[in-house]
Amino acid sequence: MQKQSNSRDWVLYSLLSLSILLLVLAMYQIDRQWLKLTEMQSTMSEQAKAVRELRSLIGSGVLTAATSGEQRGEVAPAFQRAHAASKLPDYAQGDWSVEALGSNLKTITPLVSADANAANVQSYVLESLITRNPDTLGWEGLIAKSWQVSDDGLTITFQLRDDVSFSDGKPLTANDVVFTFNFIMTDAIQAPRDRAYLEKIKQVTADSKYQVTFSFKEPYFEALSLAGGMAIMAEHFYAPYLQEPQKFNESKGLLLGSGPYKLADPKNWTPDQGNVELVRNDHYWGDVQPPYNRILWKVIQNDSARLTTYRNGDIDAYSARPVEYRQLKQDAQIQAKSHNFEYMPPVVGYSYIGWNQQRAGKPTRFADPRVRQAMTYLTDVDRIIKDVFLGYAEPAISPFGHAGKQHDSSLLPYRYDLDKAKALLKAAGYEDRNGDGVLEDKSGQPFEFKLTYFQANEDTSRMVLLLKDLYAKAGVKLVPFPQEWPVMLENLDKKDFDAITLGWTSSIETDLYQAFHSSQAISKGDNFVGYRNPALDKLIDEARRTVDEAKRMPLWQQAERILYQDQPYTFLMRRQSLLFIDQRIHNLQMTKLGLNYGALPLESYVPLAQQKYGQ
Amino acid sequence: MLTYLLRRLLLMIPTLLGITIVVFSVMAASPGGISAQTLVGGMDMKPQEKQALLDYYNKRYGLDQPPPMQYLRWLNNVSPIGFVTDEQGQRGAFSFSKGMDLGTSFQYGRPVGDILAERIPITLLLNLVTIPLTYLLAIMIGMKSATQRGSSFDVGASLSMLALWSIPTMLAGVLLLGFFANVQHFQWFPTAGISSREALDMPFLPHWDDNGFVRGFLLDRIWHLILPVICLSYGSFAALAKLTRTSILENLHADYARTARAKGLAEDEVLWKHVFRNSLLPLITVSAGLLPSLLAGSLIVENIFSINGMGQLAVEAVKGRDRELVLSITWVSGFLTLIGYLIADFCYTLADPRVSYD
Repeated sequence: MQKQSNSRDWVLYSLLSLSILLLVLAMYQIDRQWLKLTEMQSTMSEQAKAVRELRSLIGSGVLTAATSGEQRGEVAPAFQRAHAASKLPDYAQGDWSVEALGSNLKTITPLVSADANAANVQSYVLESLITRNPDTLGWEGLIAKSWQVSDDGLTITFQLRDDVSFSDGKPLTANDVVFTFNFIMTDAIQAPRDRAYLEKIKQVTADSKYQVTFSFKEPYFEALSLAGGMAIMAEHFYAPYLQEPQKFNESKGLLLGSGPYKLADPKNWTPDQGNVELVRNDHYWGDVQPPYNRILWKVIQNDSARLTTYRNGDIDAYSARPVEYRQLKQDAQIQAKSHNFEYMPPVVGYSYIGWNQQRAGKPTRFADPRVRQAMTYLTDVDRIIKDVFLGYAEPAISPFGHAGKQHDSSLLPYRYDLDKAKALLKAAGYEDRNGDGVLEDKSGQPFEFKLTYFQANEDTSRMVLLLKDLYAKAGVKLVPFPQEWPVMLENLDKKDFDAITLGWTSSIETDLYQAFHSSQAISKGDNFVGYRNPALDKLIDEARRTVDEAKRMPLWQQAERILYQDQPYTFLMRRQSLLFIDQRIHNLQMTKLGLNYGALPLESYVPLAQQKYGQ
Repeated sequence: MLTYLLRRLLLMIPTLLGITIVVFSVMAASPGGISAQTLVGGMDMKPQEKQALLDYYNKRYGLDQPPPMQYLRWLNNVSPIGFVTDEQGQRGAFSFSKGMDLGTSFQYGRPVGDILAERIPITLLLNLVTIPLTYLLAIMIGMKSATQRGSSFDVGASLSMLALWSIPTMLAGVLLLGFFANVQHFQWFPTAGISSREALDMPFLPHWDDNGFVRGFLLDRIWHLILPVICLSYGSFAALAKLTRTSILENLHADYARTARAKGLAEDEVLWKHVFRNSLLPLITVSAGLLPSLLAGSLIVENIFSINGMGQLAVEAVKGRDRELVLSITWVSGFLTLIGYLIADFCYTLADPRVSYD
């Protein structure tokens, strides 16, 4: 009995081991195929490299005698900086650029995606007609070689370069530009934000294969950047989705453009892969080929894991919070391997406290400008910057950056002034009537309000606690009200809050319309504090209509003075970017647009000796 | 046995219904509704566009109807039999073959089924490595402690198990990363993810080529899994080892064990064939809870090690008030819990012939 079962077991075991053996053999076989494939791939990429070098030789004019074009030897202005970088002695192509993302991307399809990380990925793939020069901030042609603006500012004509092609080799023509505009304006495509901006354009027409004209409904100060900054989408790639718009709206990774990098598979990126990986566009048309072979974004949610990964050298950049930055600056290991940068990008956004002036149809206590001014006097921004942000920020005076032309430099930040604040509050009818240390209004209601803020940000939480103490000195009671993001958004939409602290992002020239024009004080508009000032409305409308910069800037400055006086927001600060970048990345420079790391056309590179990734 | 199984399976239906009702009511009552989250991208939308989008969602999900109606509508969509609903949200004929539709996630804009199909294999991989490992180690250590009761090994093991059981996972995870994946201490393991980018281009098995050793996809995956698996397993492993020890000790002193020894069986035979089998029952009971708890418990570990599994998905879904996704996840984990109990009950019959459900 015992023996019998043993022999049966033996057969079973031998069968089992045989199948395992077969499985292992099969795996080896597949591996052999894989190795062959890799071999083929590397041969192919070598060939592609050879072709690339040949093309850049042609481009740089060495072979111009053999070819016909004479102007080909020139490098377009937009590529000058990158071209200069490529002439540096230790310049080398190759290696990867690896960055970290703090959260998963939901989609990288253009128009559908809404966050800054996705926009960053797209900037490597999609290109626009013109681009800003990082030294002068003026516009330079990228896909366009030249352009003309009509005298009334209503039509802009672009002449396109004839050598631009998409990453699949198909040429980019005026038809693609027209298509992009029409695609965005198609109602079924879920691009309401882009549509809202491009609404000012009446039509886009292709005059010839390489000339395109934008006509505007009315003069608009940002007409050129609106038309020239539109990222060009490929007609042959995106046109089929006009038939099935829902498929486009729900897509995760439909990305194909003319830029220096491309998705290896332009249709099938999905968020579950976590990483986003762009590979070199071997067909890139530009005058200078990009340095890196791949651009890789790793998703690392945990903060300490992200820092450790940076320490290990597995990501190239690490952006730090102020407290962390100060510590890491003393950290020998980090210092030995990094450049560190603390700078104020010109497009940096500002944070503020918004005072809700109207709630449930009735004006709140913040509808009185004296109360808002008093609150600003009480908000000791210098101390917040010193204690919470460790000096890595500057006070904000208005929505306009201090370096910009929109800003009136005679305006100075409100300094902390307890007496002035008390006097203003007294004039507005607030006094401590019952001696409990808290101010009351005429009907005996205590001056108490809830400050809504996003709960997950530690710096903001610390700031709110500091504010609570500061306001208490004048007898104003602040109740901290931390909220989750979706709840906060709902409260914003319903205008259901007393005061809220948030931030706006800025651009080179900031438009006040969205946040401060009274037409936006409607339900779910961005003027959620319900601020209305007819004089400001007029100025905003006029400035937006004025195409001439010299006439427009005084209007913005006038508008700024009104905002400064009215204080619909208490403007808090602009925060510096605090960044560590691995030393293997070379040629990092500060430009007027901020650090040139990741700025296109790429200027930074890794010298041959420090390259660590193959392929 | 079969009738018992059938009865249990049928009993699952009301339980699952109960779970979904509770979750649905909580979601319906929570502040920051679906509309707020979906329209995040709509900060600059024109009012009529926003209205159009709202109408679309209302039609699709019946958001303008009272919550009980919304619930019934959802139930109709997920149940394999029911009324057919068309694109416009209109109810059609009753059908027995319409299939289950878990709905579309609000924040991802994709079918929930697809999202789950992406995430479940990752979590499953983690747990399929973790659970057997946990049991194997727990049984080995528990057995050794029990047979050598009072020895220095027993005392040492008991002490360290208690210590392990007390360490919170989030601390352990961060410490492991900080010490064993950090160039300043021991950079033995990677910091994030379940495979490195380079490994995706490598062959499956390790081998040598011109540049030396290539670890291959398999080794790379194992290398990435080591720290997360340690984090996932040490807590339950400690508890299980203690449990095994107690249960074996109890049976070692039972009459039948003495009888077995008296009739001349070898000590090993007594231990593994008689005592061990009888000591399995409490382990089986615990295992019922292990299946779903590992799925939910991996949330912290997944976050620390940046692994895109079910735990992360659940948190994102709740944060984003993504109703369809939350419902589906709770539905799946509820289902797994019930299945876990069923399997456990079934295992009793295997381990103990006295147990039968006929």
